[in-house]
Amino acid sequence: MLKVENIYKNYGSVKALRGLSFECQEGEIFGLLGENGAGKTTTFRIIMGLVGANQGTVTLDGMPIDYSKTDQIGFVTEERSLLTKLTVEEQAQFYGALKGMNEQEVDKALTFWLKRFEIEEYRYRKIKELSKGNQQKIQFLCAVMNHPKLLILDEPFTGLDPINVKLLKDAIYDLKKEGCMIIFSSHQMEYIEEFCEKLVILVKGKPILKGSLKEVKQQYGIKRVEVVGDVTSSDFQNIKGVEKVDALQDKFILHITGEEVVPRIFKAIKEKKIRKFEAMEPTLNEIFIEKVGEAK
Amino acid sequence: MSHKFWYLTKMSLFKKIKSKWFLGVNIIFFLAIVILVNMDGIVKFFGGDFENQQTIIILDETKEVANSFTSFLKSNAYTSGENERYEIKITSKEEDEVKKTLEKEDALLIVFQEDASNGFKVKMISQNKINALDYQIFVQAINQVKSNYLLAKMNVDSKFLESLSAPVVIDREVLSDKQDVDEGMETIMSTVFPTIILPFFMLTIFLVQMIGADICEEKSTRSMEVIISNVSAKVHFASKIVAANLFVLIQGGLLLLFVALSFVVRHFFMGGSALSSLADTFGGVLNSLSSTGFLDKIWYFLPLLFLLMVASFILYSLLAGILASVTTNMEDFQHIQAPIMIVSVIGYYLAIMAAMFEGSVFIHILSYVPFLSSLLSPALFVLGEVSLFDMVLSILFTVILIFVFIRYGMRIYKAGILNYSNEKVWTRLFKTVKNKDI
Repeated sequence: MLKVENIYKNYGSVKALRGLSFECQEGEIFGLLGENGAGKTTTFRIIMGLVGANQGTVTLDGMPIDYSKTDQIGFVTEERSLLTKLTVEEQAQFYGALKGMNEQEVDKALTFWLKRFEIEEYRYRKIKELSKGNQQKIQFLCAVMNHPKLLILDEPFTGLDPINVKLLKDAIYDLKKEGCMIIFSSHQMEYIEEFCEKLVILVKGKPILKGSLKEVKQQYGIKRVEVVGDVTSSDFQNIKGVEKVDALQDKFILHITGEEVVPRIFKAIKEKKIRKFEAMEPTLNEIFIEKVGEAK
Repeated sequence: MSHKFWYLTKMSLFKKIKSKWFLGVNIIFFLAIVILVNMDGIVKFFGGDFENQQTIIILDETKEVANSFTSFLKSNAYTSGENERYEIKITSKEEDEVKKTLEKEDALLIVFQEDASNGFKVKMISQNKINALDYQIFVQAINQVKSNYLLAKMNVDSKFLESLSAPVVIDREVLSDKQDVDEGMETIMSTVFPTIILPFFMLTIFLVQMIGADICEEKSTRSMEVIISNVSAKVHFASKIVAANLFVLIQGGLLLLFVALSFVVRHFFMGGSALSSLADTFGGVLNSLSSTGFLDKIWYFLPLLFLLMVASFILYSLLAGILASVTTNMEDFQHIQAPIMIVSVIGYYLAIMAAMFEGSVFIHILSYVPFLSSLLSPALFVLGEVSLFDMVLSILFTVILIFVFIRYGMRIYKAGILNYSNEKVWTRLFKTVKNKDI
């Protein structure tokens, strides 16, 4: 289990992290959300031991993370961390050796992953000759070829087309099934929503929302109702708790103050010819925008 | 961790050695050394008047100076390779008759005619203008022959004549405490400069560039984060220093190999034995060293020189690595390495000028300064300007600075390699140095 406890980190007068705590169990994917400069990269650097925290601890299976543990950690950085003059094989051998793998182990793992990502023909090509998407695949395979216990993914889908996103997603799911702990950061909320059982939202280094995705959504509550049918905007005008109505032909999105408004709406239109009535869960994007706005 | 250290070292070293730059630079070095060593052969290969022997026809109307002139010319005249520069013929024909033959062959006719007041006078006749150097040699020979001719006329015996022309034996004694002062040492500088100072200077430039390029590449591609998450900054830094120093030792070895190969080329290109050419060259150097008494000191000079150079390479590589750690691209490194380059260029020129400013206290003091000492100290030692003790002090100061750099520079390196701020490189460096957290 990865345990991050009450981490504080200052860069001079800049408070990069203020009391961040979370846990990630084996076979779990944990989401780290935040704007640019919120402290995500600092969190990853502290976990990897690249920088020290001013306060707090980070442990993997109860032990502090040092260079004896880093062979069990895979790290995909936000920007491409590849030596572009090397060939794919040289790059894999290089990062493999840094993970304590021998040449044969790297060779075997590379063959497997190149085949899985359908880029076997690029084995002897220089990194700089590859597309951004293929470079991202190489970076990913370099991070996972040692079957890491902990995998840190900082914006792993950047620059990938939908087909390649699916290839990487499948790989991430397989690693999760193997019991790998995965810390995931992305600006694209749909990926977090799809992957992560638990998450934390950081604003200026401070965790403002934390918990399982279900809990977070429950905390936020239901704020929208979608109605499709033979109704008009005037049918919703006098319902208490309806703040705003967006109409698009026969589809209406009602912005409400809380979950208690839903039965009132249903009662008001139940005699009408309704084809769809849905109390919509908030998207992570909505929660993120609202919470970040509040925190500012 | 030691496996990772050696892997990183090997990786850095091979990346450099397998590069096109390394191949290109060494091809250029090889060609340049071959050309320098075989310059005379190359010049001759393309032809010119120097290929032809100058034919000299001597018409001696005095009947007394022809042989003397011939032997003087043969013992002093410049010869190239195995061929003598001058072909000398003594004729008894009439002047006008010989003149006619000059139109056909490009020869020089020298006519010695009796002269009551000056012993003899000379006429030099040729179809074309003759080489200025040859002309000087002829004039010198004629004047010498004339002196001997007139002395002989005065019944001076041959032993006396021999003593007259023999060089003076000078017994040089220096009364100051600097017993190793010797004016002849300056001639050795012509050997020390191309064999020690120039290659050391070039290798220092390579060293600084290699470390800078290597660290900058890893930083600019963001590979540094992945690398440092697997090995400590200390191990990473040490691997760069070891790789760069191994690289300059290999490059230095290659330069020596190129010199040896250029003598082999000389053997095939110009004929004769390559080994004897090599032996002749080294013999010449050893002779000049021996004549100045320097060979007596060489047994401790060479090990000290090696120590000083290795220590200086390590010092230069530490500084270059520390500075490169705060850069984010090659442009940054070009800015930040400028002071290193300026210091080494100053050392280089001071080493060249050391012989011109004999006894300079300023240069003497600078020879203790790390970074400069590796260039200045050997030059001043050869010139007899510094002693064994001074050279040991230079090494000691360099080693002390190495420890200071390791102790404090390591902290800067650790903080610098993960610093990607957008500030100007110098600002970033000073902030990193001042940062109390590092």
